Amino acid sequence: MSLKYLKQALRDGYETLTSRRVYLVCLIVVPIAFTLFFLNLMDEGLPRKVPAGVVDLDHSTLSRNVVRSLNSSELVDIVDRSESFHEAMEKVRSGKTFGFFMIPENFQRDSQNGQQPTISYYCNLTFFVPGSLMFKGFKTTAVTTAGGIVQTNLISRGLTDGTASTLVQPVAIQQQQIGNPWVNYNYYLTNSFVPAIIALMVVLVTSYSICSEIKRGNSRRWLDRAGGSIVVALAGKLIPQAVIEICVALACLAIMFGFNHFPLNCPPWHIALAMTMMVLASQAFAVTVCCLITNLRLAVSICSLCGILAFSLAAFSFPVPNMYPAVGVFSYILPVRYYFEIYIDQALNGIPLYYSRYFYMALALFPVVPLALLWRMKRRMLDMVYIG
Amino acid sequence: MKRIFKNISSGAVDLMRVWRREFYLVFHDAGVLLFFFLLTLGYPIVYTVIYNPEILENIPVAVVDNSRTSASRELTRMIDATQGMEVYDCVANMQEARKLWNEHKVYGILLIPEDYAHRLGRGEQAVATFYSEMSLLLRYRTFMSCLADVQLAAGADIRQELVDMIGLPAQDVNKMPVESEAYLIGDPTQGFASFIMPGIVVLILQQSMLLGVTMLAAGIKERRRRNGGFDPESVQTSPMITIWGKALCYVTLYLPLCIYVLDLVPLMFSLPHVGDFRQMYLFIFPMLLATAFLGQAISVFVTERESSMLVIVFTSVVFLFLSGLTWPRYAMNSFWTWIGDAVPATWGVEGFIRMNSNGGELWQQSHPYTMLWILAAVYMLAAYAVTRYTRIGMETRMLRRA
Repeated sequence: MSLKYLKQALRDGYETLTSRRVYLVCLIVVPIAFTLFFLNLMDEGLPRKVPAGVVDLDHSTLSRNVVRSLNSSELVDIVDRSESFHEAMEKVRSGKTFGFFMIPENFQRDSQNGQQPTISYYCNLTFFVPGSLMFKGFKTTAVTTAGGIVQTNLISRGLTDGTASTLVQPVAIQQQQIGNPWVNYNYYLTNSFVPAIIALMVVLVTSYSICSEIKRGNSRRWLDRAGGSIVVALAGKLIPQAVIEICVALACLAIMFGFNHFPLNCPPWHIALAMTMMVLASQAFAVTVCCLITNLRLAVSICSLCGILAFSLAAFSFPVPNMYPAVGVFSYILPVRYYFEIYIDQALNGIPLYYSRYFYMALALFPVVPLALLWRMKRRMLDMVYIG
Repeated sequence: MKRIFKNISSGAVDLMRVWRREFYLVFHDAGVLLFFFLLTLGYPIVYTVIYNPEILENIPVAVVDNSRTSASRELTRMIDATQGMEVYDCVANMQEARKLWNEHKVYGILLIPEDYAHRLGRGEQAVATFYSEMSLLLRYRTFMSCLADVQLAAGADIRQELVDMIGLPAQDVNKMPVESEAYLIGDPTQGFASFIMPGIVVLILQQSMLLGVTMLAAGIKERRRRNGGFDPESVQTSPMITIWGKALCYVTLYLPLCIYVLDLVPLMFSLPHVGDFRQMYLFIFPMLLATAFLGQAISVFVTERESSMLVIVFTSVVFLFLSGLTWPRYAMNSFWTWIGDAVPATWGVEGFIRMNSNGGELWQQSHPYTMLWILAAVYMLAAYAVTRYTRIGMETRMLRRA
């Protein structure tokens, strides 16, 4: 008997999906297009060759040497040669360069007679990534310039080449980047932002499809056709969506890990399972919000506000342990946070599945929450008051 | 002559009527109020609170010290003393360190090899290895700068010892022939909120306005569907006056909000805020105007109030990236640069950051400023076309003819 209702509800759910263009766009076009957008936007991996300026006040052989070695660095690209600090600063303020390297007057003379001239470099950190890369490039050049002169001095005093170069840098700390040795920005950002967009669209579509039934005054009929059972009604509406969403989400994963060879240090099903569970958890999240908030239009607004806050709160850039505890705790109500943790553990670091168990369990718990609240939604569907 | 004056005055009266009517509609619509006011007032605070710790302090790392000498312990102490890192535990071997890593207790492992002190004693370069977790690049960046500092500081100490041992005149080596000084401008503390917030607030202005404007436009369509193609709330006048009247309403609502978002928020959280605010205010005006027209132009895609959220919300992320805040514009291919050029917030973010954080003057932002005015003109024409050639415009003209 209830199977008949379920079939009917599923057919209704499928028909609502095909009835409006906006569902098709949000469920299929947006996630796929967004993935391709990210991959294409950052296909270089790192924005090398930061536009930089040089102020050479010395115009000597040594200073020209420094400028040449600066320009040969893979990180910076000298696009401007100014003749004063103010001129160079103006270029930064108008956005032509991201910073500049300044060699003082009498640089060559002072460095050779032991007067310690000072090289200064200015990096505009209002744009973090190019600013940091430029800082690294400038610092390397500044340090190696000084080191080179030290080394020459030491060798001229009769030390061997080997000892002299050791004296320049006696201790070296090699940094090994586990999982992303190229420090590829694309791997880093796409792996967090694409799932977050998928979660955002799932939450929006779920809440919108429930809301629009009530808005159009259809909710009583919807419930009747499902045999009066809210669970059957919701299942009928959400299962067709979930099928499409999961297929699209897995397709996005395939584009990233399959076709673009993103680092994947675990069996593919670990991450596919996490993604599937995240889609279902996001649906559950939206249903919970719809149950809790009386005004259903407000529910859609809340869902969209949460979905967009998730990009910051799920700590894709600023880690949770360093947030204020009162703020960081909110990241644990977001399904995408757990997906991201699983991605880090499994795909990036490739650690045993055992250590990610709690994240999978958390994702599995999300769908249980709304079950306890569905009675609220049913009551509201029976007495339809649409608050505008 | 008389007729021209009459036309002008009746146009002005119509403009005021549209303006007033739009105010009425905004303030009688909870959804639009939510976007126009709650979002612009609340989001800058929420975002800044998330990022307000600014820098990463004391990220736990594990140390595997196979050398077990005073030199290696000194290195460990120096790592522990940095602002960014903290030694969570000194463990016996890599297996134990890996276990801590797997349990999410540490985000990096320092491996000091057995021959660390030997090599130093022999006058060779000693190499330690640091394994860095790469899930968040901010963490990696913190590790990188801390380790570079430690490397330089430890190097200086050890050089001193070696020089004493060899018996060279010390000042030759210890005094570096060339000093270098780094100046970080715009965000001298390297704080994350200080970097991202000036851009985000501009984006919030644009996105909240787009959401509100498209929701209002969808409201018109809904009323028309209910009333047989006629909207009782609209003022019947020419399309040009309609779009200008509405744009004036949105811009006048946003100008006071801008004082809060662009001036008070940076002051409240002591974010970088060094430019002249009056100039920033002048700068942001064409962005508001361009956004008001853009919203009216894209409302052709939105037919229902709630679907404005479905259509607009996710674009925030796209626009954030196109603005070049996280991935710089010089590294994008020309296709995405063009698309970015067409978004008011791209220019708004770029110019505002340079004025707000770098202390640039308005005349130095001439390129973004000009682009904003061009966008305002282009989107005005687009909004005009949409209003005139969709059903709303047609019906107005028919009414006027009748």
